[in-house]
Amino acid sequence: MFVNQLGFPLLSLLIGTPLVGAVLIGLTASSARSLQRTIAWLFSSINAVLAVYALTALQPIGGYQFVESIDWLADIGLKYAVGLDGINVWMVVLATLLTPLALYAARNESTHQKSFHALILVLSSALIGAFVATDLLLFYVFFELTLVPTALLIATQGTGDAKAAALKFFVYPFVGSVFMLASIAGLVVTHFQQTGLMTFDSVIISGAVLNGTLVMDESLERLLFAGFFLAFAVKTPLWPFHTWMPQAQVATPSNGSVDIAGILLKIGAYGMLRFALPFFPNAAVWAAPAIGILAVISILYSAVIAFGQHDMKSLLSYATISHLGFVMLGIFSQTIEGITGALITMINSGLTTGALFLIVGILAAQRGSRNREDFSGVWLTAPTFGTLTLITVFASIGVPGLNGFVGEFLSMQGAWLAPQLGYGYVSFAVIGIILSAAYLLRMYRGVFMGAAPEEHAIHEPKTSEIAVLSLLVIAMIVIGLYPSIITSVSNASVSELVRSLTASSR
Amino acid sequence: MTQLSWFIALIPAIPLLGFFLNALFVKSEKANGTIASLAVAGAFGAAIAAVVGLNGLDEASRQISIPLWQWLAVGKLDVTFGLYYDPLTAVMTLLITGVGTLIHIFSVSYMHGDARPRRYFAYLNLFVFSMLMLVMSDNLLVLFLGWEGVGLCSFLLIGHWFERKSVQPGIVPSEAAAKAFVVNRIGDAGMLLAMMLIFSRYGTLSFFGPDGNSGFFSRLTESSFTMVNLGSLGTISVVSGIAFLLILAVVGKSAQLPLFVWLPDAMAGPTPVSALIHAATMVTAGVYLVVRTHMVFDLAPDAATWLTIIGTMTALIGATAALTQFDIKRVLAYSTISQLGFMIAATGLGAYTAAMFHLLTHGLFKALLFLAAGAIIHGLHDVQDMRRMGGLAKTMPTIYRVYLVGAFALAGIFPFAGFWSKDEILVHGWFNSQAITTIVVLLFSSLLTAFYMGRQVALTFAGEARDNELKAHEHLGSMKWPLILLAVGAALGGLMNLPGVHTLHDWLKPVLHEPTELYTVGMGIFAAITTLLATGSGYLAYRIYSGPALIKIKTGEEDPAHYYLGDIWKGFELGWGIDYVYQRFIVRPYRAFSGYVYEVFDVQAIDGILVEGSARSVGAIARLKSQAQNGNVRTYAFVFLIGVVLVVGYMVFGA
Repeated sequence: MFVNQLGFPLLSLLIGTPLVGAVLIGLTASSARSLQRTIAWLFSSINAVLAVYALTALQPIGGYQFVESIDWLADIGLKYAVGLDGINVWMVVLATLLTPLALYAARNESTHQKSFHALILVLSSALIGAFVATDLLLFYVFFELTLVPTALLIATQGTGDAKAAALKFFVYPFVGSVFMLASIAGLVVTHFQQTGLMTFDSVIISGAVLNGTLVMDESLERLLFAGFFLAFAVKTPLWPFHTWMPQAQVATPSNGSVDIAGILLKIGAYGMLRFALPFFPNAAVWAAPAIGILAVISILYSAVIAFGQHDMKSLLSYATISHLGFVMLGIFSQTIEGITGALITMINSGLTTGALFLIVGILAAQRGSRNREDFSGVWLTAPTFGTLTLITVFASIGVPGLNGFVGEFLSMQGAWLAPQLGYGYVSFAVIGIILSAAYLLRMYRGVFMGAAPEEHAIHEPKTSEIAVLSLLVIAMIVIGLYPSIITSVSNASVSELVRSLTASSR
Repeated sequence: MTQLSWFIALIPAIPLLGFFLNALFVKSEKANGTIASLAVAGAFGAAIAAVVGLNGLDEASRQISIPLWQWLAVGKLDVTFGLYYDPLTAVMTLLITGVGTLIHIFSVSYMHGDARPRRYFAYLNLFVFSMLMLVMSDNLLVLFLGWEGVGLCSFLLIGHWFERKSVQPGIVPSEAAAKAFVVNRIGDAGMLLAMMLIFSRYGTLSFFGPDGNSGFFSRLTESSFTMVNLGSLGTISVVSGIAFLLILAVVGKSAQLPLFVWLPDAMAGPTPVSALIHAATMVTAGVYLVVRTHMVFDLAPDAATWLTIIGTMTALIGATAALTQFDIKRVLAYSTISQLGFMIAATGLGAYTAAMFHLLTHGLFKALLFLAAGAIIHGLHDVQDMRRMGGLAKTMPTIYRVYLVGAFALAGIFPFAGFWSKDEILVHGWFNSQAITTIVVLLFSSLLTAFYMGRQVALTFAGEARDNELKAHEHLGSMKWPLILLAVGAALGGLMNLPGVHTLHDWLKPVLHEPTELYTVGMGIFAAITTLLATGSGYLAYRIYSGPALIKIKTGEEDPAHYYLGDIWKGFELGWGIDYVYQRFIVRPYRAFSGYVYEVFDVQAIDGILVEGSARSVGAIARLKSQAQNGNVRTYAFVFLIGVVLVVGYMVFGA
């Protein structure tokens, strides 16, 4: 058993706090609505504070910090092992910050308030677990666990064809991740055969890949890589594995959408970066051109579809898929620029798309519709709201000075520099920045510009919602003008990762 | 930082401050206008101080870098958020803040009583800031920040009256705003690719580097002959690749063929915005970009040739389109496109100083024309159709006089500003580059220029009022002095670079290194001929449209020339139908395509057949295998099993 240098289990606290909150909410009476809100908000805020503390305490050096490692099933080498570095710390910060913000801005849109709050907290816990787990099986457990609260959320409180959407949301990623489980088994067994050590510890296994004690022959490596890839590609989602996502988004209650788009989807890309690359560096280089093509298709195809969507939530879902195409392009460039770009794009997508989902939630709550054609001239009747939305839209379009640009530019620059990708991919991916302007401005123009209708005019949202949006907008501007706030933390870890990739690929 | 550096840093800082003050705190219309005007005036003061300071340095040290903070430092990429100031930047800052100040002051009266003056003035300050960042950046990435920043402000200001369903002549402001941004994005994509290519080759995006000699400019020669294989597209040198990508950016921002379609619609914004953004400054950013990166084009003659072709064709198309318009602002909009074509053609011929000279004089006289047109529209209570005007010389005497000055300058009539700058482009092309075809087309375009200005002056000011319902009055307020000062500029702007004196040329020499032009008698004769032709053409148009053609000019009726030229005239009027082609063959099909991809590919093919189809078939197999108590769990288990069997089987038999 080993506990980190801080002397207290920071990461376990991060995982555990929301769970405790969820249990407490479970103990309240269903009618105690304000108590449930308070508990949810309190525990998620504590978690946010913890995450910010972790961010400030983290040293800007490579390798995991605040490591906790406890033998779980020693016979098969299974450990409860968690750690934080310059990459996943951002995922944790994003997850913990967005949750209280989304809860704080939440309207009483749900008749199942008790379960809504409890499930969001459970989801938050599972997400943090997946981001900090360094043991493969532990990661797998958390990875699957995120499906349960989300599926329940959609099934019990969703709109439209919620049951079907929930089923698809559960089954599709689940089937995908089963292939990962098989690959994990294959990887661990291979590692055991070659080194005599039975372990699920990702640090040990990737170390063995790096120093050559674990050598997989070409076709085995590719096969195992494919298992991981499939799971993460579905989860990300990457074209053509994406169809569950818009359907699930449309069915999810708005505040849940913030979490799903903001954080849940990043597990796929994160897993690709954290596990698929370092375990199978040669296969990743081998597959990069094909995955690059899928990424470019994701970017363009989703942007084309987003242009024609009437349901704004569906539009934003396709926009998210488009952005995640840039993430994949950056990751498989396997360059410092590209991976940093992917990381920043993941954060951006959480902030910006999260904010846009909130905005659509606000609009839908007032008008009872998410069809963009049901709105007009919102900027006239709700000027502050309109201006905040405008900045968010331009951040998402990728105007420099705001956050979106930094991530997209670095991802594309990385892809350009990568020998396995190159300018051909970028020349097509760059069309995505034109199409994103087209679909987002079409939405903004229709909804916020034009004359205000006589009836159903949208009024300024609650102060709490304006405050939340303002905070998100400030974050967009800060990251846009001073991205070092992220890169100073992530640079060491990303460089280490890229170094190990180049060293271990033949 | 030295005193000079402080002045330089203040130039963009004051408009930014003005933006924040207006956007966040100040609520009264009067204070909004005053703060915004003072902010730009302050920047103008700082710009003058900086020019004086720069002038005090010896020529070789007239380039000042002011690094502010590290913007992006990832891997090998290291971009400083830095300002750069040299003679080229200096003239651009003078133009932007000088003309900008006048337009701000003009706006105070023009926008009086507007529903959202606070936003208007905040955007205007933000625009000036972004434009200053564009010209004051020491690297391409910060330049791109300004580049997209001005695009954003252009979007906001075109869409200033976003709630209106239509403004004259039938443009939807919100649509025009989005169109401008999206079309510009096509160019911006080229700029992004150019940056990535430059970084991948030279490892830096800085023009000159911190020591003035380590930027990518000084390393361009390294790879001017490195060829890149583009597969079936042939091969191209790296530098040419960069140049062509930059041209794409230029074509978008400076409204050149084939992307100029956004500029006529951009007239949906308030007229002072058209003057500042869509005539004097933002649209000239492309010209500035070419001049700033002229080392690239010097090494890429193939790309430079394309600049000339694009510029020349744009000059001609713009002029023919301006000829046929009845909307007073649309004449000027197409005229701007045409004049930008002149500048771009000049850069393609390597006449960078001439291009800059024309940029500066055009900034003065086109701002004047737009503001004067704005004053007319204001005085006629939002009438823009010239068919309803006529006789305004009597009712609007001040505007008439300044308009004449602007028209003379634009037409290239001696001794107004446009004569000198346009002449320099033509002379350079005729005598130095021997580009005879180009010059013939440009010369023809400049005759058309004089013609459409003669037509416009006749339709607007000559004769009697055609529409007696209009109560024409001249009430200028704060609009008066900006008009008069700009008229002085339009009259005397040629003094900047008189032949034999060439002040501007000498000032830009440390940047452009162009040899001093020697003026010959031949050039003088050439200039005399061109100005005589222009005068004749303008006079002819004035006579036609104030004389025999006048009775045919009625609201809703075609121009008399339409009778003779028919569809050709109609084609000119529509900007040679390029916008129509885009609407018909790109925009509308794209809308349909989007729905098609969603319905057929996404819902039916991928989701319907691949995803649900495979789910169903797996389910069917699973049901065959067992008496399912719970079909779903069985399905998962079965899939899981298949995966394990595959992997284990492979490990046993494969390894």
